[in-house]
Amino acid sequence: MQLNVPDRDYMHSGHVGCPGCGAAVAMKFVLRALGNKTIMVLPACCWSIIAGPYPQSTLQIPLIHSAFETGGAMASGVRAALDVKGDKETCVVTWAGDGGTFDIGFQALSGAVERNEDFIYFCYDNEAYMNTGIQRSSSTPYGAWTTTTPGRDWKRMRKKNIVEALVAHRIPYAATASIAYPEDLLRKVSKARSIKGSRFLHIFASCPTGWRIPSEISVKIARMAVQTNIFPLYEVENGRKYTINFMPKGYLVKEYFKLQGRFKHLSESDLDQIQAMVEEDWELLLRKAGVPLQG
Amino acid sequence: MAQDMTMKMIPLFIPRSHVSTAGNKTGSWRFLRPRYDEKTAPCSAACPAGEDIGRIAMLTAQGLFKEAWEAILKENPLPGVCGRVCFHPCEPACNRGEFDEAVAIHTLERFLADTAARYQLQADLERRSPRKQRVAVVGAGPSGLATAYFLTRLGYRCDVFEATPEAGGVLRWGIPSYRLPVAVLRREIEQMRRTGFEIRCNRRLSREFLQEAGATYDAVYLGCGHAKIPFLNIPGEDLEGVTDGLSFLQRVNRGDEPRLTGRVAIIGGGNTAVDVARTSLRLGAKPVLIYRRRRADMPAFPDEIQMALEEGVELLELRTVQRIDRAGEEYTLTLRQVPVVNCAAAGKACVQAVPQECERLAVSKVFRAIGLTAAESWFDPPPNENRVIRLNNSVLAYADGAPIIAYGGDVANPIKSVVHAVASAKEAAIALDITFQEGAEAIGERMKHCRVGGGSALSMEIHMQGPRCRRSDHVVAFDEINADYFELSPRIVQPRLLKEERIDSFAEIELKISANLAMREAERCFNCGLCNQCDNCRLFCPDLAVVKDADSGRHINYDYCKGCGICVVECPRNAMALEEENQTQMNTAEEGVHGRLT
Repeated sequence: MQLNVPDRDYMHSGHVGCPGCGAAVAMKFVLRALGNKTIMVLPACCWSIIAGPYPQSTLQIPLIHSAFETGGAMASGVRAALDVKGDKETCVVTWAGDGGTFDIGFQALSGAVERNEDFIYFCYDNEAYMNTGIQRSSSTPYGAWTTTTPGRDWKRMRKKNIVEALVAHRIPYAATASIAYPEDLLRKVSKARSIKGSRFLHIFASCPTGWRIPSEISVKIARMAVQTNIFPLYEVENGRKYTINFMPKGYLVKEYFKLQGRFKHLSESDLDQIQAMVEEDWELLLRKAGVPLQG
Repeated sequence: MAQDMTMKMIPLFIPRSHVSTAGNKTGSWRFLRPRYDEKTAPCSAACPAGEDIGRIAMLTAQGLFKEAWEAILKENPLPGVCGRVCFHPCEPACNRGEFDEAVAIHTLERFLADTAARYQLQADLERRSPRKQRVAVVGAGPSGLATAYFLTRLGYRCDVFEATPEAGGVLRWGIPSYRLPVAVLRREIEQMRRTGFEIRCNRRLSREFLQEAGATYDAVYLGCGHAKIPFLNIPGEDLEGVTDGLSFLQRVNRGDEPRLTGRVAIIGGGNTAVDVARTSLRLGAKPVLIYRRRRADMPAFPDEIQMALEEGVELLELRTVQRIDRAGEEYTLTLRQVPVVNCAAAGKACVQAVPQECERLAVSKVFRAIGLTAAESWFDPPPNENRVIRLNNSVLAYADGAPIIAYGGDVANPIKSVVHAVASAKEAAIALDITFQEGAEAIGERMKHCRVGGGSALSMEIHMQGPRCRRSDHVVAFDEINADYFELSPRIVQPRLLKEERIDSFAEIELKISANLAMREAERCFNCGLCNQCDNCRLFCPDLAVVKDADSGRHINYDYCKGCGICVVECPRNAMALEEENQTQMNTAEEGVHGRLT
């Protein structure tokens, strides 16, 4: 009856993440699968704060804080240093938010994976610059309120499809995962750890504070994002082989939107439009995965 | 390789953290407080015997068949019987019914009893230390035996008196063996008797016993059942060959199987009527059931009616018998149609009493099987008066200088069923226990705490302060289940003999299921309101504030719990609660203990 996942945690209590923080759950799961032979590079993001002020640390693994734009470069350097030392066992990972991945850190990430550096890049995606006060990022979805897309000026651009951008680099492994599906998430982390070269994991991590949701539905909302096809779970090997891990039951996106304060201004017709966009994205994914369209 | 290269060590001036964040007691942020809060499952509240079904299914799914069987025995000593003949009111209440199909609780109950029998398991049940009071139980039917069973476990000495040569009552003499094999019944009676009471068969008692009993006993439980079929008050019903259906069933259950031929008429619509019809079918007859209202109004269990019709029993609804005439070996029934004139939404159809055209039906035999009554008037509870306590399923009469007389089973139950007989027994046993220990005035208050989900069913586990007495009486609704954690899966199909195999033998119709299937079916159970150690609370906690105990339970570390509530929402079965934080509670020395669950 228990989910089949490793049991040992490499995190301490007492961190300063908001109540119900999806990013804290994501870190907890990822560390369970990585184990303690891991060095983490942490560009500026919510986790820069959650990891604790000096001299405290929330994690039971070594962690290097880095500048916002250098997640990919810093990890490349750490890997090179370990290689010089002859340490093949330790896994180097970058843990960045959506801002540090989609926007500010994108060039360093793109450069590192183009060189096929041997590391895992984790992007925990809470769909805005949450730590600095909920500013929009290129990961913020169409329709969302943020402090920089306020009132009637809600965001009218689509969310950047970061996994497809990484897939275009033809890296050995790229996948999406969600905190609501721990078995799938931990399996993907273990799989990524066993592969050499650049690996990218895009983890959907809800943010009660920025999404304007009650903290207790934090995991539920992440699950709904998968159930409604807003955030499909899939993996891509070597830039070509697509596998869809969860076939949704056809829930409507409005069920997901109506629970969140950041979408409360949307009209029925806006929601219909978003439904059409989600379906279009899903059909595109099915085509790439070679799955026949339903209906 | 490194030494070949001319590398110069340079000092690194990077600040390094050296303590953990555990010093930050983030629990002070909390304004909502999660806690473990086991609740009552709807099936359990719907079971007249208050069986802890969610837990039984959980143990079954884990393969802990003995523990699951014992969990039934705590509340009901007759799982093998009830797993066969109970009308399972638990299943319509099952929350899983709103998801796909109800769990086959009835089938699981029987599986557990059969498994216990196959491996000759002995139950280890809690028993109180002996008390001085003695109780006489009159009638070794299901309610009498269960009363002796419960009272013995509560520490009282009991003697059971039975008029017939064998214990079992209606289960032994009234229910045909294709529904309940005698071996199953005997095994469960033996199991009950082993708790430590005596059954004296062939001891028919008279009314005087009630006066004499005071010398030996502190209370007498009368569970004499309904064993008499009243007359119809029509001409011809006293003719030879017009038989009382219950005596007929008794005769067959004793081993005498007369051959019947031609059409036989059975007058009545209860379970006895259906049993008589199906029994006579097996003896070679073509039975016709004659009932004065519609099929939907019949008191017999719908499943039984359905199977009877499948086997070839004919049903004549909306007809009363006017008279019975005999010509040689043939009987002619004069029937009158009674049209429905008024049909309330939830009630029996009202029928018109005006004479209609008559029809005639020629048969070779007639059975009377209308509503049963008590065989003797003193078996029935006295009318409401001073010093008579009327409870849901039993009646207690108190008198100075005389033993307390408790009435239970059919004589005290509106629905005459085995599980209601057990409910009577438990209620009477608990009421007598409270009377002996604290006095009759305490019954109302004390009994309130034993109610399962606040309904009419009582729990012996709660009364005896067992570990499960801590569950709250909040009955879990389907909306409170996190259905995302369950996948659609079809209910097990109860295997049965084919119709052709059924009709010419008394072999049991419902067949056994494998342990594998039983476990799979038990896994379908939501375990509403019950922790099954799925570990979701600990898995999803962002603050690592849910701690596993050595004994496989868990507790919440309120030093760090920020009260986000994820654990409560992600609990698939609503075994947790989120409450507003109470400042005084937060600062008590009991921190961490409140949320403990084992």
